[in-house]
Amino acid sequence: MEKRRFSPQMAPLLLKEFLETWRDRRALWMAICFSLMFPVLLAGVTIFVVKKNTEETTRLALLGAENAPLLERQLRGPNLEVEAVAEGSPRQLLNDGYDLVLQLPDNFARDYRDFRAPPLYLYMDSSATGAGRAEHHLQERLNSLQQLVVSQRLTARGVAPQLLAPWQLQVRDVSTPSSRGALILAMVPGLLILTLFVASLATSVDTSAGERERLSLETLLLQPLPAWQVIAAKTLAVASLGWLGSLLAIAALVALMPVMPLAELGIQQATTTGGVLAMGLLLLPLALLVAVVQILLALRSSSFKDAQTQLSILQIAPVTLLMVLDAARIDLTDNYWQLVPLVAQQQWLKALLVGESVSVGWVLAGSLTCLLLVAAAIAFGARALRRESLLGAV
Amino acid sequence: MRCYRVPLDGDGLENLAVMVAPAVNGSGREPLYLLAGGPGQAASDLAPLLNAFRRINRERAIVMADRRGAGRSGAFRCGFGSDMPADLETFSRQLAQCYLQKADFAETLSSRQTVADLERVRRFLGHGRIALWGGSWGTRTALLYQQWQPESLSALVLDAVAPIDTKVFLTAGAAENALQQLERDCVEDVVCARFGDWRRQLDRLLSQWDDGRAANFPDPLTGAPSEQPLARWALANAIRTALYDPKAAAQLPYAIDQTRLGNYRPLSGIAGLFANRTDSMAMGLTFSVACAEELNRISGEEVAADSANTFLGTAFFDLFKSGCEVWPVQPKPYGAPEPRDQPVLLISGDADPITPPVYAERQLDYLSRKQHLVVAGGGHINSPRGCIPELIARFLDSPGKPLDDSCVAEIRRPPFMADAFGPALDMGGAEQ
Repeated sequence: MEKRRFSPQMAPLLLKEFLETWRDRRALWMAICFSLMFPVLLAGVTIFVVKKNTEETTRLALLGAENAPLLERQLRGPNLEVEAVAEGSPRQLLNDGYDLVLQLPDNFARDYRDFRAPPLYLYMDSSATGAGRAEHHLQERLNSLQQLVVSQRLTARGVAPQLLAPWQLQVRDVSTPSSRGALILAMVPGLLILTLFVASLATSVDTSAGERERLSLETLLLQPLPAWQVIAAKTLAVASLGWLGSLLAIAALVALMPVMPLAELGIQQATTTGGVLAMGLLLLPLALLVAVVQILLALRSSSFKDAQTQLSILQIAPVTLLMVLDAARIDLTDNYWQLVPLVAQQQWLKALLVGESVSVGWVLAGSLTCLLLVAAAIAFGARALRRESLLGAV
Repeated sequence: MRCYRVPLDGDGLENLAVMVAPAVNGSGREPLYLLAGGPGQAASDLAPLLNAFRRINRERAIVMADRRGAGRSGAFRCGFGSDMPADLETFSRQLAQCYLQKADFAETLSSRQTVADLERVRRFLGHGRIALWGGSWGTRTALLYQQWQPESLSALVLDAVAPIDTKVFLTAGAAENALQQLERDCVEDVVCARFGDWRRQLDRLLSQWDDGRAANFPDPLTGAPSEQPLARWALANAIRTALYDPKAAAQLPYAIDQTRLGNYRPLSGIAGLFANRTDSMAMGLTFSVACAEELNRISGEEVAADSANTFLGTAFFDLFKSGCEVWPVQPKPYGAPEPRDQPVLLISGDADPITPPVYAERQLDYLSRKQHLVVAGGGHINSPRGCIPELIARFLDSPGKPLDDSCVAEIRRPPFMADAFGPALDMGGAEQ
């Protein structure tokens, strides 16, 4: 086989790879569906959670209300509906649609007057959805009544109630609405990166292990082409699909942001048009890296099925890693982290999503590192392709 | 939350401290500036209101600018920390010394300067038209801003209204009315009605107050007998102050009834509710503004008419009168208010002992677009209560539209103190 540094056959090769990639309707649909799925889910969940939290009122059944009508009156609030119930078993009442049942014993008022701290029984079903919220609603009202009683009891004894509060803690939240968003939107970069992996998965398996099983890879390698060009063409084709997937996800996310009740969550939607474009661009080197790593892994697997399994693991591993890094609050503010692919992209996306700026120099340096890794992987893949054993593996 | 220092030119103080809670959605709605009371309170002390104003803060930035001589803009405290001296003489002496040290600074402090400074802050922050929330004396500042800078203003929310022409330091009549409102509400309440004529007991207590009784009055913070016997004027002022807050007022009938039995502790506890508050007024600023803009326009006859047949008498006014005698700043009159058409939302408590609803009703005829919310049994400042924050948000969103204020009626007085155990949870039913 004649060895040449660069073959003019690259253009037809690229055309062939792209055609094959984009012709595969199944893979294309999978990429599109997954890309749209998570922004839609995210929007749906935010809307649902906020609606639940702001609009739902808690229904409380009060057993023995006649013992303490003032308690009944004071508990009523904008999100707590109190109904005095003459009788019934707490379990039955919970089944009948009440969120909580509060029971006052018969001698409640007398014991209260005598400072005997009578018990109040709260029945709840912690397996029911919204049980925590319901309890929170009740505690809120009960606490303010309790405070009132304590304050009056202290005053009655000539004690200034502020003796109970030795200092006043005044909290000043220095976050801006957009940096508050960073916390809640922290998962979005990880999901965008996951989209990259998922969208290019099927194609990368097909173009490597698939072609090998169809024996078309052998034919391809017989062409007078340097092996690196074969890998590069496949990488470009696969990356195009992964990149498209992540671009779609970004577009969907930005389009859905206005309908998400972010303001209710105290988050400002601060993503700018420039930010959206930057997000798309900085994912391109990563898309290439993901594609080439997927192709290499698939090539060294023993079969098509094996390749699928390996790549499924590959797509979960880095994303899990990113989420763990985030959850563990590992300090990634050091600039050198921006040279580590995945971590770098995650940090940049996070900043751009909340309208903060990223350093162009570091983005270029990080992207360049990523591209160097792509080049190294292509070179590595080219050498591997020359080993015939690779083709024999079925 | 963001903090700024807005530079000033000359006049000693170099800059103003400004705190901004940015809007969650920068939708371009005009920001809301909070103006504090006193005069002498700092706007930054209003930060706890942000919680109630969360919904407003979603669409609008909320700005708290400490006026000169208050808070972090060079608080002019005159060495009065949280404690006030118990006798007027010591108080006047300390005040006089303070004035002599900073007479020039005292002369510069005025509402006109505050309005000009607010304009400076508005331009510094790059805001177009702004909305104002004023509380208590802050309503006066807001109304003056409307007179002097009408083109910068979109809407006004005034809580506990001190109209420009109203002599708010004549407070004896208003305090008496608030106390009588408390009496009426008490009679309506099964539990409170049992205390019978506690009002007569209060009058008796105040008229017979002497050092012997004062010595029995325990210190609410240490529990020990007071080192300085409580003066009669201070006791009357403590009652007046309790009326500011309906929670404290709800304890008055019981506490006063107990004095009949020689038990002064509950009353001392109520006095303690307001003792040692570190967010107190900057007294230098208080007197600079009050003496120049209020005290000088109040005549002896007016004081006599206001204080006649009231529990407070001149106990409150005397404090300012003796203070202003040693605080000789020039009078700074305002001029008659001119008609204005910005939408205004007025909020009053019908048992407010210093700015009763009648002020907002009678003395703001020059405002063409105003609405008034009156909270039954409400004290001084009602903005954080019940549905009022929601109504303020709605008003700011469409200031021209009349509000559906039916929810204001749901705001009730807190339960009265029934006995040493606190409120009667059984509402006085079964047991007695």
